[in-house]
Amino acid sequence: MIAERDPVNTWIVDDDSIYVYGLKKLIGIKGINTRLSHFINGQEALNALNNANDDHVLPDIILLDINMPIMDGWEFMNEFAKLKPQMGKNITVYIMSPSLDLNDIHRAKNISEITDYIFKPVKPNHLTEIFDQTIRQANENIMKYGT
Amino acid sequence: MSFSEKGKLSGDDVHLTPLINDLDTGIWKYNFNTREVKWSTGFYKVLDFQLNEIECNAYTFFEHLLYHGDKPAFLNAINNRVAENAPPLQLRFLTKKNGYQWFETTIRKQDNEHGCIAYGSLVNINRYKHNDLLSAHNQVINDDAFKTARLGSWEINAQSTDTIQLSTQVYDLFDLQNQLNLSVEEFISFFEPPYRPVLQDAINLTLEHSRPFDIDLLLRSAKNNMLWLKVKAVPVINHFGKCTSVKGIVQDIDSEKRKLLKLEQSINLLTDQNRRLQNFAYIVSHNLRSHTGNLQFMVNLFEQTETSEEREEIFSHIKTISDSLDLTIEHINEIVKIQTEITKERKMVELEPMFKNICSALKNNIEAINARIEGNFTQCPEISYIPAYMESILQNLLTNSLKYSHPDRQPVIKCYTLTEGNHIYLIFEDNGLGIDLERYGDKIFGMYKTFHQNTDAKGIGLFITRNQIEALGGNIKVDSAVNIGTKFTIRLA
Repeated sequence: MIAERDPVNTWIVDDDSIYVYGLKKLIGIKGINTRLSHFINGQEALNALNNANDDHVLPDIILLDINMPIMDGWEFMNEFAKLKPQMGKNITVYIMSPSLDLNDIHRAKNISEITDYIFKPVKPNHLTEIFDQTIRQANENIMKYGT
Repeated sequence: MSFSEKGKLSGDDVHLTPLINDLDTGIWKYNFNTREVKWSTGFYKVLDFQLNEIECNAYTFFEHLLYHGDKPAFLNAINNRVAENAPPLQLRFLTKKNGYQWFETTIRKQDNEHGCIAYGSLVNINRYKHNDLLSAHNQVINDDAFKTARLGSWEINAQSTDTIQLSTQVYDLFDLQNQLNLSVEEFISFFEPPYRPVLQDAINLTLEHSRPFDIDLLLRSAKNNMLWLKVKAVPVINHFGKCTSVKGIVQDIDSEKRKLLKLEQSINLLTDQNRRLQNFAYIVSHNLRSHTGNLQFMVNLFEQTETSEEREEIFSHIKTISDSLDLTIEHINEIVKIQTEITKERKMVELEPMFKNICSALKNNIEAINARIEGNFTQCPEISYIPAYMESILQNLLTNSLKYSHPDRQPVIKCYTLTEGNHIYLIFEDNGLGIDLERYGDKIFGMYKTFHQNTDAKGIGLFITRNQIEALGGNIKVDSAVNIGTKFTIRLA
């Protein structure tokens, strides 16, 4: 029954095309079972969240960059926090940033919707851990509440 | 010898004799014709002598008891015509136990059958005189102290709020020779114009609401010296809590204040430099790290892939990263240049030819979008500036306007100067895409902030522009409306 379930949905929100390319490649190499969507800034991702009319379209994981044009990661989190209560799915958000700036790290820690802060580039082992954990959690939810 | 023995008192006056003798006051009498001196019992008493302990004669009086230094003044006084209300004379007489002490004597003159007579009453005033001398001495010490401290005092009475009483030292501080009576308005007019309302308001507040104040103000003295003064005041209130007068001081704090201002300037400079350093840290933390991270990422992937197509693809990314790294280093270099060029000398920059040069350098970009460029520098054709900065500012703003032009209309870009008061402004106006300032606000001057999905946006131009303007003490402001246009107002000086 568990094997039958859909792969998790992963949204990458990042304007750095090279990094996104590498991330996709790494996910492929590690054989992680996930469906990937890429948004080049917070606004695009927000639009997609608003337009999702089915929980299956919603992401399980968001890998969010901070510095992006139009709408950056912080602004996106503001909007995300407003939307979260209406969403019928538990979405895990990871910040993925090259910034070692303590201000950025503390700011992320103070946002409860953010699960963790990951330095770019992500270590392959760390990436698999993130997905293992999310898949396990998604399965537990299915056991508890059904689909 | 006393008046009682050889006294010339007679008739009704006889009963006064014991009274006079009991007084703690000595009475003396000098006969100009006989050159005799006589005195009362009290005279012995005030000098602490026993009765008849000293001989009562002119020699004792003038040569023994009266201090030789005071003799000329005494003789002068008795020889001249004595006015009816002449003030008493202060003299030193020798006492038995305490040496010379201060006495006060009245002097009267009379012509009668015995000849011309001078007489007077002598009172010991040593204690008061000492206090007098002491307070005079203290006054001198105080005056010296106030003078050294360059400290004066003033007072405004609530009954007549347009006049002000000033101490000598205030006149000295104001370089005023004559101690003229000044009105409050005149007093305030000695301070530089921007400080006048400050002082007037402070005085009014003290008079009306009993509020004390302590402010530093710049004075232009009568001799045109510029001087920082501390002006401080407290209210004096009556039983009903109403202010009856304002008592204050002014003190010369010029050297301290100037040191403080210099220090503040240094702090501002340091703050600016610190901010630039933080920007460095930011570039290193975000951009350099993002590039090196990607490089590492790609190299690792390269090792894990086998097919040549994949490897070729990864390698093309590595080349892109190498270019990006180079660009970021160039940006860092530009920020370093702000730091090093700020020490360069300012020169007169002619704006019109410089702007034309920049336009011709960007000719291709201008023609590609058929933009109309209008430069008008008649209000201020030249300005003392660092030429490299001015060139960079004009070029960045023009490039910016060209880059974010509106596709639906002919781009019109206006650049002109304005003078207002002591300030010179450079205005840069376009009818381009505009930007949502409510959303982005001051971020547009931040580093690596881009707001349009524009592939050649680097987010460095306006950051550099702002830094150059601020480094020379100016500022830059932006007004913008989406789809209407953007206007940059730069205060150059």
